[in-house]
Amino acid sequence: MVKWGEAMPIKYNKSQKLSYRGGRRETETAADERKVVLRAEDICMTFGTIKAVAEVSFELLDGEVLALIGPNGAGKSALLNCINGFYHPQRGRVYFHDKDITHLPPHKRAMLGIGRTFQGLQVYAGMTVVDTIMSGRHFHMKTNPMQCAIYWPWTHKEEVEHREYVEEVIDFLEIEGIRKAPVGELSYGLRKRVDLARALAMEPDTLLLDEPMAGMNLEEKEDLARFILDVNESLGTTIMVVEHDMEVVMDIAQRILAMDWGRLIATGTPAEIKTNDTVVKAYLGVG
Amino acid sequence: MRVKGLAAQEVEVGLPSGEINTTPKLLQWARDKWGERVFMRHKDLGLWQAWTFNEVYEEVKYFSLGLMSLGLKRGEVVSIIGENEPENFWAHWAIMAAGGKAVCLYPDVTPPEALYMWDDSDTVYIICEDQEQVDKAIEVEDKLPGLRKIIYWDPRGMWDYTDPLLMSFLEVQELGRSYEADHPNAFEESIAQGKLDDIPIISYSSGTTGAHPKGILMNYANVLDSAHRVIKATKMRPFLQYLSYIAPAWATEQLFGLTMGLMCPYVLNFPEEPETVLPNIREIGAEMVVFSPRQWESLSSMVQARMLDANWIQRSMYKGGMSVGRKVAEGHLSGKPANIGWRILYHAFFYPLVLRPLRDKLGLLKAYLPICGGAAMAPDLFYLFQAMGVKLRNMYGLTEIGLLTVHQGEQYQLETVGQFMEVNPDLALPLEWKTDKDTGELLIRGGTPFLGYHKRPEASAEKIKDGWFSTEDCMAMTEGGEMVYLERLGDMRKLSTGVRFPPQFFETRLRFSPFIKDVMTLGDETKPFVAALINIDPETIGRWVEKRGIVYSTFPDLSQKPQVLELIRGEIEKVNKILPSDSQVKRFANLPKEFDPDEAELTRTRKLRRSFLEDRFGGLIEAIYQQEAEYITEVPVKYRDGRVGKVTTATKIIDLEAPAEVGR
Repeated sequence: MVKWGEAMPIKYNKSQKLSYRGGRRETETAADERKVVLRAEDICMTFGTIKAVAEVSFELLDGEVLALIGPNGAGKSALLNCINGFYHPQRGRVYFHDKDITHLPPHKRAMLGIGRTFQGLQVYAGMTVVDTIMSGRHFHMKTNPMQCAIYWPWTHKEEVEHREYVEEVIDFLEIEGIRKAPVGELSYGLRKRVDLARALAMEPDTLLLDEPMAGMNLEEKEDLARFILDVNESLGTTIMVVEHDMEVVMDIAQRILAMDWGRLIATGTPAEIKTNDTVVKAYLGVG
Repeated sequence: MRVKGLAAQEVEVGLPSGEINTTPKLLQWARDKWGERVFMRHKDLGLWQAWTFNEVYEEVKYFSLGLMSLGLKRGEVVSIIGENEPENFWAHWAIMAAGGKAVCLYPDVTPPEALYMWDDSDTVYIICEDQEQVDKAIEVEDKLPGLRKIIYWDPRGMWDYTDPLLMSFLEVQELGRSYEADHPNAFEESIAQGKLDDIPIISYSSGTTGAHPKGILMNYANVLDSAHRVIKATKMRPFLQYLSYIAPAWATEQLFGLTMGLMCPYVLNFPEEPETVLPNIREIGAEMVVFSPRQWESLSSMVQARMLDANWIQRSMYKGGMSVGRKVAEGHLSGKPANIGWRILYHAFFYPLVLRPLRDKLGLLKAYLPICGGAAMAPDLFYLFQAMGVKLRNMYGLTEIGLLTVHQGEQYQLETVGQFMEVNPDLALPLEWKTDKDTGELLIRGGTPFLGYHKRPEASAEKIKDGWFSTEDCMAMTEGGEMVYLERLGDMRKLSTGVRFPPQFFETRLRFSPFIKDVMTLGDETKPFVAALINIDPETIGRWVEKRGIVYSTFPDLSQKPQVLELIRGEIEKVNKILPSDSQVKRFANLPKEFDPDEAELTRTRKLRRSFLEDRFGGLIEAIYQQEAEYITEVPVKYRDGRVGKVTTATKIIDLEAPAEVGR
């Protein structure tokens, strides 16, 4: 325990904080020179007779924000689940950093560095915000449950280290005020932010966000859009986001994939997608 | 009581002698004396990070040298905009040490407001906290030809910024380190050049009187003497725990945080975020809390609102505790202790079981020096805190001439703002005061004289009448030598019937109600009676309404619900009872929108801007005096991004004398 008035043992240096760690990448690499992080080839996924995802192939480039859009039931979440490992596609392959991960279970993929948030709320309502985010550090902890129960000195040391990272995430997402609050008591927008914080605590290389802004008001959306960009810019995390709100998508995404009826109907920059007839038709239903 | 103690002598040592006549010299003195003791703490990453006097001195030194190496000359102005954080304070001291003048802005000013102050003060460097503030500076930088650099201390979110004027706090300190190599002792020499009559601060007034704030010049004599007065009068103990929360843009924090913090000295604590202030106060066990009346009011509203949610047992315990506590506090303050029975009940039952835990929850358990500075506050509110044993004291002063009065000792009257404080003869002339016979205005001579407004000689000259400084505040003195604050000179009003009434008196008392956030009283020489425009508190009223199963959609809708109008009517009747019948409020209306400083309806310290409001709600006011029962208000709403919208609401006007239409 540290007594009041004594200098604290952990002296922080602002330049070391998460928000500035890594910093900007040196130069803006042109899109075609960027490394491919994740590659999906010819993914097919059917539920009974319904083709949820049909022959979809795409590449996720290092450090980009890629948005996946499409009307309801277009197969966006199903595609995300195929990448993440919740669903196993009947056909097709998924490569992560050139490694075939098609048959890996979700937790193995998470260990490789694929983090995700969910469309519905999948946070632990009974836990405090800190504990919830701490659970995101699970893969990085080395002590086993027995050691934790006895609470060896190195267990304590490990907890402090992870807590420090969690605090950096809290600082990053500006949720200091609710640190100790039970997640179940928070508003919808804040719970979503806690969900994102937990995914960030994993230190993911690639982040899959499934409708992060659904059900939020304009202010909450603006905040979250800012945080997504901050994560991408400062940590260099590659982000794939499924989103309905076209305004937000146009603002934050560098590239957009559009889906309809399980198929990929267009790929391109926001400007190209805006003027793409097929996409406009799919959205407005003009036949 | 704990206020008296051995510490009084220790403090005496800390007061500046003739040699220590500037704030930077005070910093040097404090560093030499206390060195390795903890001086500042800021909660970050969930922990209280600490800086010793030595460390603070180093930070200030290199930032100051950095500014010098950038080319800051003596007498030039540097502005700071941001929340209370250690860097904000370091920057202040660094500017002073380099011989510059510091201008501090409220972190929530809009870019046009900031531009006015930057332009008026001829700012050459702007020091910003983060991206939010940097964006404001970049937005207006083209209009500031003299601007040389924009310095920020929190680089987050600005990875893409390429503005050539931008520079980080750490980069400036790096410059300072290399500057020191070529110019050893430059920092110490610069401090030694400082004189008692240098002007280190230009403080922009909150501007209740006009749209544009005036820059008030403050010199070291002004700052050091005021700080000295307060330390002596309140018997502060060294190393008291202080939470810096009020903005240094307000002169009060310039004195309390930046000057007394070094002089006393304090342990200066900075909250993690503005929203975590209350838990942070509790964590550090703040011993001195300086809030504006607004902040005390919101604290009390919070307590009252929570009590509305409590069950009847809790509510009656609270009510009992408050009334017994009030009796005991009244006895203590008047020097005639309450009946022994009440005291036993208080000390054996209500204090340990109800009031102490409540005080603990508010984080005020260790607060031996809670101070309310700024405008007048309702006595009921004082009693709420006094009952808990929190000895809340009023303080009165003006940025122009420093702090003048404070509640001193153990016995004082809550209606007053306390007694005049003693000046330090090394720093200031003897203080003389009198009240004008006709108007009751307080006039001051001596002390640390008024230095004038920045670039406004006419306005400055107006404030001095025959060698006396005009405070524009109407005051009266009690038999005990304490001053009673009546009203702003310009605000004392007369009705067409010839009756005089003090509008603020009514407003401060009505604001004590948890349901009312703001009030503006109406009535002048053209009006036959007093009326009021009410701004309801949406949070507490929202909860009150929900409990009764009443459905509402928006703020305008909520404000016009008949049950809400009836509730407010009851609150006004309570205050009306203490007033003579001809100055009572006769009619009122609930405004369909909240007052907002962004729309110039309030000042940044949340004081009403009357003439502006009278203009904006002109139609409604006319309707009130035409005895109409309803008026369609159309209020323009300005959004932060520049869009302008309109809110149209049928606003009901209620007669207080008419019988109630809806039962509760």
